[in-house]
Amino acid sequence: MIAFGAAITKPEMYERAARRGIELAAEPGSEVISGPAAGTIFQSYNALLERAVQLRELEALVLVHQDTEIVDHDFCDRARAALSQSDVGLVGCVGAVGVRSIAWWEGSVSAASFVHRHEDHGGGELPAFSWSSDDAPPYARNGEVDTLDGFLLVLSPWVVRHIRFDESLGAFHGYDLDFCLQVRAAGRKVITAPFRAVHHHALTPFDDPEPWIRAHIAVAEKWDGRIARVGTSAGDWSERAYRAQAMRDVARLVDHGNVQLHEARVRRLEAAIAEARGSVSWRVTAPLRWGQRVVHARRAHPTDRSVVVQPPEVPKR
Amino acid sequence: MIVFGCSVALIEPWERWAGPGIMRALDDDSELLTLAAMDSISRSNNLLLDTVAGLDGLEALVLVHPHTEIADPQLCAKVRAALADPEVAVVGCIGSTGEPGLAWWEGDVTRGSVTLAYDDEGGGEIPAFGFASPSGPGPAHTVDGFLMVLSSWAARNIRFDERLTLGHGLDVDYCHQVRAAGRKVVTADFHVIEHRSLELIEDVELWGQAHIALARKWERGLPEPFATPAGGVGEIKARARRAEAEAECARTIAYFRRLGYDARVEALERQLAELTESPSWRLTEPLRRLNMWRRRRADRA
Repeated sequence: MIAFGAAITKPEMYERAARRGIELAAEPGSEVISGPAAGTIFQSYNALLERAVQLRELEALVLVHQDTEIVDHDFCDRARAALSQSDVGLVGCVGAVGVRSIAWWEGSVSAASFVHRHEDHGGGELPAFSWSSDDAPPYARNGEVDTLDGFLLVLSPWVVRHIRFDESLGAFHGYDLDFCLQVRAAGRKVITAPFRAVHHHALTPFDDPEPWIRAHIAVAEKWDGRIARVGTSAGDWSERAYRAQAMRDVARLVDHGNVQLHEARVRRLEAAIAEARGSVSWRVTAPLRWGQRVVHARRAHPTDRSVVVQPPEVPKR
Repeated sequence: MIVFGCSVALIEPWERWAGPGIMRALDDDSELLTLAAMDSISRSNNLLLDTVAGLDGLEALVLVHPHTEIADPQLCAKVRAALADPEVAVVGCIGSTGEPGLAWWEGDVTRGSVTLAYDDEGGGEIPAFGFASPSGPGPAHTVDGFLMVLSSWAARNIRFDERLTLGHGLDVDYCHQVRAAGRKVVTADFHVIEHRSLELIEDVELWGQAHIALARKWERGLPEPFATPAGGVGEIKARARRAEAEAECARTIAYFRRLGYDARVEALERQLAELTESPSWRLTEPLRRLNMWRRRRADRA
């Protein structure tokens, strides 16, 4: 039996994303042990693990973020196939190798079969690079990785019984890398599999950088010397400090430049739109466009007389 | 006497910006000194300094970057006012306190009336370093090298460090030297236009190396308030860990911010396309052409 669990802080998001995906993926007999978050994600997930341990004939526990929507109806078959090797402890759909910190995306990402769907600025999607094998780049492959993105994790029964999220590390950030490192340190494999999911997420990484920075340091300190390369960098501490400070300021400078450039682009486009809307030709043809909208509305709702298309508001020049 | 100095590498920016700006700012008692730029900015600046250092009656040397346009006819009067305090050795139009590194804008930025004029995206003008939320002019620890006013004391006693060969951070280093010698750095309300791209960095690797070189030079002996006691291994390790985390954090934030802006731009481009590809817009194309022709004709008349 494959169980599903999520820690819920935003019920509306859970209903819209995670629950929908779980309902699609779950088999008859699957257990769903989602519940309100109990403190940090480390604590919440550990609570789910304690519940999962009690489940009889558990084949796997699928942990999803509340904003993760599984879109494979045969997800359970894929999960079983991925866990068919007894030394596999953890499976996900986004993973990387060469990882040295909780910024695992700074490593070499080898699989990412998820779509990032957002509602910013009218909404949109960022495509996955390995959604289908036909479109995947040459470096895309499923298999063993250093770490997975925690938005979708499939845990083997052994992992459910033996590994716990390290509650000393903070509230949220770095829980996935640390968990993967624990699984690997215990001799089990972490792999990606061709699951597909949609991550419903704003185009922001986090609200407050400070907890992320603290988690970065804590995870580096914990694993430096225990797993190859994690928490390491070239040079002595002095060299590392100088280089990292430079790279930090470079990144910020690039960011400032991008902001300036994009703001200028936005100003140019907004001016062009305002000019077009304020033009005589746009204003004189407003009734024409209104008529078109009325026709479309009537076609879309032929019997519903309550549908009213407001006449156009024409901006003054 | 106030001398305006400029090392000219390319004629065009000099003719478009620095030259006309200096002409605007010169007063009866001013001199103009232009020299062909040499291979390093420090060496070029030092030649300007060497040339003016011996001048009798020198009040100040105004070092003007070729892409800087002085838009302030009162500049000389403002220079004299700023240098009325004999402790002041460097005056800039924009600078900061609280950040000793190459990225001085990460500190508390103080600024005069400085704008950035750009050609990107059809061109325009914005407040310079607006992203740093600057306050009005005042005391500074460093100033931007786009325009630096050096007192006669500075012109005679402090030189740009020609060991810093990467072209970035010479202004910061000069200000550190001045302050290490016990003099002050300030910003004043100069009206200046900086002509450059909105993209702030061209060669990331070079800039990073210059950042390290500057930090290495001043790792001991930074003037107050930056002077730091020699740290043990534990302190250096903690600094490295923190900086590595901050660097990856900054990259992540920059990446997502770019995604957000891309989404915003795409939404506006869609809106504009919907407008300009609509049947009514296409139908009225002749009308707009006629209007444009009438406007051009009226302009010619």
